[in-house]
Parts: sequence; C-alpha cells; structure tokens
Amino acid sequence: MAVQGIWSGTISFGLVAIPVRLVKAIESGHISFRLLHSKDYSPLARRMFCPEEEKMVPSDEIIRGYEIGPDRYILMTDDELESVSPERSRTIEIIEFIDMKEVDPIFYDHPYYLVPSKGGEKAYRLLVEVMHRTKKAGLAKFVLAEREYLVAVTPRDGALALTTLHYSEEVLPEEDPSPKKGKIVTVEQSRVKKSIEHMIGDFDPGKYADERRKKLTHLVATKAKEKAPVEAPVVEEEEGEGPADLVAALEESMRKVKEKR
Amino acid sequence: MAGTTIWKGYIHFGDTNVSVKLHTAVREERIQFHLLHRRDRVRLRQQMVCAYEKQPVPPEEQCKGFEVEDGKYVIVDPAELEQTVPESDRMIEVHEFVKTGQIDPVFLDRLYYLEPDVSDIQGRGFNALVKALKELDVAGICTWTMRKRSYFGALQARGKTLRLSTLRYADEVIPAGSLELQDVPLSEKELKIGSELIEKLTVPFEPGKFENEHQKKLQEMIEKKARGEKIVVLPPRRLKPTESDQLLRALEASLKKAA
Repeated sequence: MAVQGIWSGTISFGLVAIPVRLVKAIESGHISFRLLHSKDYSPLARRMFCPEEEKMVPSDEIIRGYEIGPDRYILMTDDELESVSPERSRTIEIIEFIDMKEVDPIFYDHPYYLVPSKGGEKAYRLLVEVMHRTKKAGLAKFVLAEREYLVAVTPRDGALALTTLHYSEEVLPEEDPSPKKGKIVTVEQSRVKKSIEHMIGDFDPGKYADERRKKLTHLVATKAKEKAPVEAPVVEEEEGEGPADLVAALEESMRKVKEKR
Repeated sequence: MAGTTIWKGYIHFGDTNVSVKLHTAVREERIQFHLLHRRDRVRLRQQMVCAYEKQPVPPEEQCKGFEVEDGKYVIVDPAELEQTVPESDRMIEVHEFVKTGQIDPVFLDRLYYLEPDVSDIQGRGFNALVKALKELDVAGICTWTMRKRSYFGALQARGKTLRLSTLRYADEVIPAGSLELQDVPLSEKELKIGSELIEKLTVPFEPGKFENEHQKKLQEMIEKKARGEKIVVLPPRRLKPTESDQLLRALEASLKKAA
C-alpha cells in the first residue's frame, strides 16, 4: 500500500539523519457527504471569492494578512512564513530522549507514523530497534503547516510513531473538585468499589461501534435500494486542476450575469 | 483558570449514578491570518462553486450526497440526516472497567476534566468513584451522546480528579503493519552503540521547558513588518541523510560528542 505523505524531510538524532515521510495513523470513520448542486448533481468545490470584484480568486492571487485594525493588514508571503523557523520546517531533530511513562496522557494530541524514504531504511530500522530496546522515546520540535509542534517519537510494532504533544501552557490547570467537603462515606465507598470489581474486563475497542455511523450507513444503503443513485455530469476539465481556467470561466459567467442585469 | 463547562450529565454503572460537568482541558491559541486578494487587499470569502457550471451556488441550491461509486450519489435530505442523530439521555454509561495500562494511548483522542455537579450532594459519589478507580487501577470504558454525536471513551482517575477521554474507534487506527516496512539487518555493534547513545541523551520529561518559539518568532516578524523593516527570507535547513555504510561511524561520532 502506497501511503500518501503529509510532509517529507529528515529526522535526526545525534549525527544521524534519516530521510522520512510523515503519514497518517488515524483514518476517521466519519461518514462524509459531498455537497452537490441540486440542479445538476454536480459536486461543489470550495473557492475563494473577492466580494469587491465579485469574482473568484485563483490561488496565486491570494496572500495571507494579519489584521492590525479594521481593514488593515500586514501581508505575509509564503517564503516569509517559511523562514520564521527555517531550522525546523524540514527537520525533526530529536534533542533528547525520555521515558514515555513520564508523559501525562493529557499532553497527547495526534498520532502519525514516519516511514523511511529511499536510502533511509537502515538508519530508520536502527532507530526503531534501539528505542525499543531502551524503552525510550525521542522528543523533538518541528514545524508543519506553519505550526510548531512538540512531538514524541516512539517505536510502534516495528515502525516509528510520531505523536504531537500539547505545550504545557495549553494545558489548563485541573481544579481540585472537593476542597471544601468531600467526606467519603465508607459504606458508599465499598459499594462503589464492589460494583466496579464486578465489571472488570479486558480492553477491546473492537467491541464498540459508532452508533451514528451505523445509522448513516443503514440510511444510505436503504436509499440506494429505493432509488437509483443520481449521476453527476461529466466535467470536461478535471476538477481541481488549473484553478486559473476555472476563474476565467467564472469571470466570463459573472460578466454575463452582470450584463443581463 | 479551568476551562468552561461544556456539557452536563451523569456517570452510570451498576446501581451508581454520579452527576458531573465536563470541562475542556486544553486551550490552543494561534496567530490567525486572513486570506486576502493580493491586488486590492480585500478579505476573501469562501464560496461553493458548481464544478460543472463553474458558477457560485447559493445554499438553497445545495444538497448532500453520499458517493456510492465514482460520480454516482445517493441524495439524503436534512430531515433524514436528523433522524440518525442519536438521542441524548445525558448518561455516560460505563460498560466495563479495564486495567489502565491496557489502553493503548493511540486510542486517546480528546480529554476533558470532570467535576461533580451540584446535584451530587457534597461530591460524595464523585469522590468514592475517584478513590475506587485509583485503588483498583482501572478505567471505565463508556459511551455517551453529546452534541449530536455518539462517543466512546475512558473514565480515569488522576490525583483527586476524574478525566474523561474520548477514544478513537478500533477501525480508525491504522495498524503499523499496513506500512509494509522492510526489515534491514543490523549488526550487534550498531545496536549497542545506538542504545548507548540514546541512554546518554535521556533526561527526565519536563514539559514546562518547551514553548512554542515559532509563535513568538512569527509575532516578532509581524511586528517587524508593521514597522516597515525588511524581512530576510531564509531557506529551510535540510540535513544530508546518513548513508547506510556510514551509519556505524555516525553513531560512534555521536556517542563521542554526547560524552
């Protein structure tokens, strides 16, 4: 299975650098629907629209702006944004190793995998193997899509897993829920404990299914039986390619709309 | 300051009910940019465009379809979708308890803090539950409905408090085996030096020492630009990959450097 990379660069520890790609470890099971045009059942695409000129704007005419006041922006180019942290945008540098047991799960954000790129297979295997032997995890910082992440790199079934972590300043302090009162009645305590002991089992996430997903799958299957699915018109140019063409077409159509007025 | 209450309900198992409030546990703050039209600096809006007619489509002409095969859709209307929304009975139903160590962290999704709700007189049930979970070192595996979605989660005690993590469904976690990684033979020497290097570089985990430096530098860059100063564009640093036949040497040199 060829997995699509989210990012590519190198991961390093000590003086060893390994070319890698970042791939997803989670595939959302949400049933997703496509927005369609109810007139012709053609799928809809998200485009950026300039309200002033009343037309679609191709990606090469879009720039990011930081708002400093009403309608006042500081413009930032992609190059400028990439040069905020040039040492971290293509490199995951493991600065230290830790025992993952010391990490409160509250820091865990999102898991990914790293896979070796060509030529990196051996060093990749070594890093997996030695972290497995020493039971350690690597800590690094890297920048992905303009965000700097603190990440933990761990071995997982022969692969390198990368988990983004929250920064401690993002974790809200926990309130002590029972500062004033909270005498535990012994009778209550032993009753609760007994009741829990009766329900102890083994963790098996496969037993639990998303009820909403089941219902949606059922709904779609029922509807598909009742009525033949609708067909979207064939689009001459592939959707997604050449936004410039699309914009030209849109400009044309908008002009026509205006002329009619 | 703790997060705001986002939901209220009660934990149920056996003949025990504990009223709780859910609080957010993590708050992320990021510098936000808007997308502007380069020419006139007008803030852009998102618009849904028909791929066939290449025209903007107003909301009343939009519908939802499930793609059954390439280009073929089953149309579902909003009323039908509404019927699939699970009913909320405000109950976090615990189905079983498992040893906390059995839950692979890869399943952990979002985490919430729990607080006893006022209807739990003096937080007795809450405290009894926290204590029992700690003593038995177990987590409650539960399901509930919140904000029109059904959740699967783990209830855990930490300190004097309770936490509720939403869990990912089993089929959402991609197994490492599907990556089809190749096995590469390594020498015992490489493994030994590699392990020594890791041990040398191991320190206690101190989350407080890490901060989002990128965010700070970005803020500085924005301020610099606001003052009209020129920004020097730097290319990203790229490391030269270590060749396989140089691996042992690189490890030895790293170990020497770390010592």
